[in-house]
Amino acid sequence: MNSPKSHPLLLGALSLSVFFMSWIILTKAVGTKILPDPFQVIGEIIRLFKTPLSGRTLLEHVLFSLRRVLIAYGLAIVSGLPLGLMMGWSSLCRKIIGPIFEIFRPIPPIAWIPVAILWLGVAEGSKIYICYVGAFIILALNSFTGTRYVEPILINCARVLGANRKRLFLGVAVPAALPSIFAGLQNGMSMAWMCVLAAELVGGREGIGFIIIQGMNLDRPDMILAGMVVIGLLGALMAIVLRILEKVLCPWRRELV
Amino acid sequence: MTTYNPKTVTDQSGSHDPVKVKVRHLTKAYDELLVLNDISFDIRKGELLCIVGPTGCGKTTFLNCLTGFAPLTSGEILIDNEPGNLFRHNIGFVFQEPSTIPWLKVWDNVAFGLKIKKLPPPEVISRVEKMLDTVGLRRFVDYYPRELSASLEQRVALAREFAVKPDLLLMDEPYGQMDIKLRYYLEDEVRRIQMEEGTTVAFVTHNIEEAVYLADRILVLSQKPSTINEEVAIDLPRPRRFDAPEFVAIRNHVTEAIKWW
Repeated sequence: MNSPKSHPLLLGALSLSVFFMSWIILTKAVGTKILPDPFQVIGEIIRLFKTPLSGRTLLEHVLFSLRRVLIAYGLAIVSGLPLGLMMGWSSLCRKIIGPIFEIFRPIPPIAWIPVAILWLGVAEGSKIYICYVGAFIILALNSFTGTRYVEPILINCARVLGANRKRLFLGVAVPAALPSIFAGLQNGMSMAWMCVLAAELVGGREGIGFIIIQGMNLDRPDMILAGMVVIGLLGALMAIVLRILEKVLCPWRRELV
Repeated sequence: MTTYNPKTVTDQSGSHDPVKVKVRHLTKAYDELLVLNDISFDIRKGELLCIVGPTGCGKTTFLNCLTGFAPLTSGEILIDNEPGNLFRHNIGFVFQEPSTIPWLKVWDNVAFGLKIKKLPPPEVISRVEKMLDTVGLRRFVDYYPRELSASLEQRVALAREFAVKPDLLLMDEPYGQMDIKLRYYLEDEVRRIQMEEGTTVAFVTHNIEEAVYLADRILVLSQKPSTINEEVAIDLPRPRRFDAPEFVAIRNHVTEAIKWW
């Protein structure tokens, strides 16, 4: 008999079919008014693709959300990464910025929604800002721990060989922190993605969050689920892209088997 | 059985060789824990000095003081008559633990120090190639360190440190991970490179046989807080034979000198 390990695809297909079977059974039990079955949800996704909701098709809504996420994510990378690296590397930076950072760190990004709307209005600014806060904290934190906890022996090895501080930073600390930075890039992306939905749920006439809220207002569970499925798929897609990027840029990393 | 009457070196000024490293009243304490207690000795230019002593006696601490990784509590260490400076002095350090650079392939690991020292690329290439042959890593140039065994990894670190042709080479139990055949081979290689380049070597080991085989002089440290129990000059002809009566006599003598029980 073949071990299940040799059939990862088969196993995956099995688990998915069990999942969908249970879903269908559950739908039968509670009725489609409460829980639409998978086919209805897929049908709804196709319908949203063709028929505009509030003047926009699904693709346009997705692009709206994506645009917000990517702008925020880009801003978080150019600000959060250097800040984290600096805090990890220089004890002076750590002492100056550390305490402020510690105060802001535990505040969930969603808690920023009210002030963000107050300051930046309900338009793009506040939504981008909320995503930015979420991704920024994670990116800064990961690049911080990455550089802070570089194996001392690697630093010492380079120091004995005559490396100056700049060389130690660029040649040892940053590459040593790369795996941790990549973890930050991945988690920061999913955080930004979560935040854009939260922001869109609160206000806005476009985006995937808006589709979900519309579904609720119109009492259309299939529309809500369609929005959720699209979120899941897009999130997974972005995670895969980042993982491929990591494999290319950090080929030395030990794979967890 | 041959007995050995050591020429115990007590007066450092009695030597005429130029001094590479001068250690004076070196004391190192970690908080309340006194590790090195008022140690003074010299390492002469071109000498291979082995430092032996019981586990935890501060052998590694001494090397860390020498490189400046650990600040001295009191006393001083001079390299070429000035305080050690990692930018000016060409020092190599082979660590006990794996110290290969995980994100560099073997070739680039060996080139690591040469690039820090900004050697011209053709020189980098020729030295790396030569070192790869010396330590037998030719087949592994395109591997990452994690793909190698512990012994191969240590050879990468050795090649990296040898490649910079240090004039002071510090080795902290470098061969602990290796099987006996490789160990013998690399002991001879260290000696050969040392003779060719005139390198001064401080070699920390707990393997007394290894110390007697390699050393021009052995420094025997006592248990913590460490002082120098004895300095043993070894003038056996080379290549040395492990089973020669004189060799065995010195080995037994050093073993006795180390004993604290």
